[in-house]
Amino acid sequence: MKLKTSPSIAGFTLSEMLVSLSLSSIVLAAAITCGISLQKSFNAVDNYFSTQMQQIRIIDYLNRDVKRGLVVTTSVDLQSVTMSVPKYIIQAGDPEAIADPESIGMPRTPTVAYTPSGWQVNYSPSTTTVVYSISGNSILRTENGVVTTIASSTDQLVPQSTDVELSNTEYANTSVTFLPIFTSGGAVAERTGTSMYATAYLRNKRRG
Amino acid sequence: MRISQRTVASGNVLLCVLCTILVVSLIGGNVLLNCITRYNVASSQVRSWKESLDAAETGGDIAYAELRKTISDPTHAFSPSNGWTYSGGAYTNSPVTYGQDNLSTSSRVDPFYYDGNGNAWYRIRTKGTAPVLGLKRVGMDDRMGPNTRGDSLLRKIDFNYDHFVATYGPNGDGVGQTLLPVSKPQVSRRVELIAAPMTPFEAAIKAGGTFYGLGSAAYIDSYRSTTGSYDASVKTNPSDPRYPDSRSGTVEINSSVATIQGSIYGNLYTNGGTVTKKTTSIFGIIDNNVPFSLSPFAMPSTAGWNYVSSPTMITPNTTINPPVVNGVPRTGTAQSPNYYLVASFANNGNLTVNPAVVNGVAQETYVAIHVTGDIGQNTSSQPTITVPANVHLEVYFDGNFQTKAENIINTSGYAGNLQIYAISPTLPNGAPDPSVQQTVNLNSGGGSTSGFSAVFYTPSANFTINGAPDITGAIVCKNFYGNGNVHWHYDRALDSAGDAVDYRILSYVEDIR
Repeated sequence: MKLKTSPSIAGFTLSEMLVSLSLSSIVLAAAITCGISLQKSFNAVDNYFSTQMQQIRIIDYLNRDVKRGLVVTTSVDLQSVTMSVPKYIIQAGDPEAIADPESIGMPRTPTVAYTPSGWQVNYSPSTTTVVYSISGNSILRTENGVVTTIASSTDQLVPQSTDVELSNTEYANTSVTFLPIFTSGGAVAERTGTSMYATAYLRNKRRG
Repeated sequence: MRISQRTVASGNVLLCVLCTILVVSLIGGNVLLNCITRYNVASSQVRSWKESLDAAETGGDIAYAELRKTISDPTHAFSPSNGWTYSGGAYTNSPVTYGQDNLSTSSRVDPFYYDGNGNAWYRIRTKGTAPVLGLKRVGMDDRMGPNTRGDSLLRKIDFNYDHFVATYGPNGDGVGQTLLPVSKPQVSRRVELIAAPMTPFEAAIKAGGTFYGLGSAAYIDSYRSTTGSYDASVKTNPSDPRYPDSRSGTVEINSSVATIQGSIYGNLYTNGGTVTKKTTSIFGIIDNNVPFSLSPFAMPSTAGWNYVSSPTMITPNTTINPPVVNGVPRTGTAQSPNYYLVASFANNGNLTVNPAVVNGVAQETYVAIHVTGDIGQNTSSQPTITVPANVHLEVYFDGNFQTKAENIINTSGYAGNLQIYAISPTLPNGAPDPSVQQTVNLNSGGGSTSGFSAVFYTPSANFTINGAPDITGAIVCKNFYGNGNVHWHYDRALDSAGDAVDYRILSYVEDIR
């Protein structure tokens, strides 16, 4: 049997092949480039959103502790905050916990004392020290020596807190910035454009 | 048979297009999923977490408002009609739902301490709950490392069960833990506030209205009677250990109208004033942005006080001796003084209140007198009040007060032993009557030696003091006017003396369990 060869499925000429290969390469390159760009853009957006969540978390943590803080101080470089907060909850190792292990995790009953500075409410003879600081790539919250990493600084998260003390009140201003991974040639706005601000007043401020 | 390869070529192109769409869709879908999840956290969960604290603090405000009524409007404080019930030594209210986000809050208020004046300190525990809208799923940002906990450590969301009740019980004291389902996802936050009684005399002079004074050579300083008697040299001697107590002669003015003369060894607060250190001699802080309010003063409840029926009027020669009960003179206590209801105080009345004496030894004796009228009616009035040592006298009056400074005789020298309160004028329905202007007018007849030791709490009265007496004590009034070169010594021990006139939040703790 003899197969009939149709002229319409005849082979390509070399020139046709070259042209088609060139066009295909261009289209493929464009598609790959677009894909990579899309991936980068999506990654950048994802990263931006993720880091913004960390900004919110840092500020929420900080504000929660500042509000119940008795004393708040910020470091000279504004990148660490130290505060004393009441020891409201009985923790393992506390005298109450040793006397009654069942009391661990339970709140204390406040006591009242009159001092040269006036009346004071105390939950425990000592207070809890909470420190917020940057360590390497992490933002740390240290409570009585127990360290919790509350945010990753691989995105160059930088919190800055300013403690403002007035005659009749005190508050802490905090801003958190980060450097997004899509950049525009090192413009200052790359970082400042990500700023998130918060102000928290000390509800427990103690005066000396 | 004819075989066409055109279909194969078309299929390759279609496959390529589909693959490209698939890859792009996967990338886009993944990012979209991440974005939705994070948006869900940022929009719903973070918002609910913040709103629940707002709700808890709102509950604190509601409870605090009720607490303040125990001073200003006792009959309506913690009223059942407002949803409050009293049980087990604590007031609780049923949950209050408010706002377009359906926030709810509930409070529990219980006294946990009574100070030396019998004033109760209250603990306010409130819970605020906000529903969590959006997707019922956790966030995706707890993933930072093996020892790293992110959002879930901070924001505890109850998706199916109330974790707090399950772990710590409804009151957080480890009693009554139970698995309590929640009808929809929610966030609850709890705060504990301590409401401390505000005693009347926290500053040397506190004027709710305008202020003029004192003389150009006057001064206001302070000391602490519990660490020794007053010494005028301390305020200029930083090496003296009593020095920190010598510079609390604070003046507080809730007005921008403040004419300040003389020296103030303390702080000066005004409400919108323009006082500066360049124009005044003030050694403490000047803050021209400190508003405050003085509530009208009502006669405290006398329930529990030891009512004594006589005398009922103060004549030119009235001496009160403690009643004798079972052969022993009754001393009374700060919480339960011997109480006399007096209808009139003669313009030339002389009142002496003696202490209880047991086996020849004077006892600390607590006396309260309510004068339902004026004490001194005109400038020629010279009523006298004499308080020997060991007597703690509280005088309440409904009208005006007028006498000479030298007629206020407090032998102990401790101003807290003679407390004078002006009950604010009221309408028949009990509301404040602004049409009646109370006055307290003190004249000095003998210069610096004619001073007195006493405290005045007269928030609705205009206070005028003429002459230049030495005064140890504190004054709370409406408008203040003083033109003499007074030497005014505020006793810092007064900041814990007297009946509660209001409450302030002294402590704030969030229960972060």
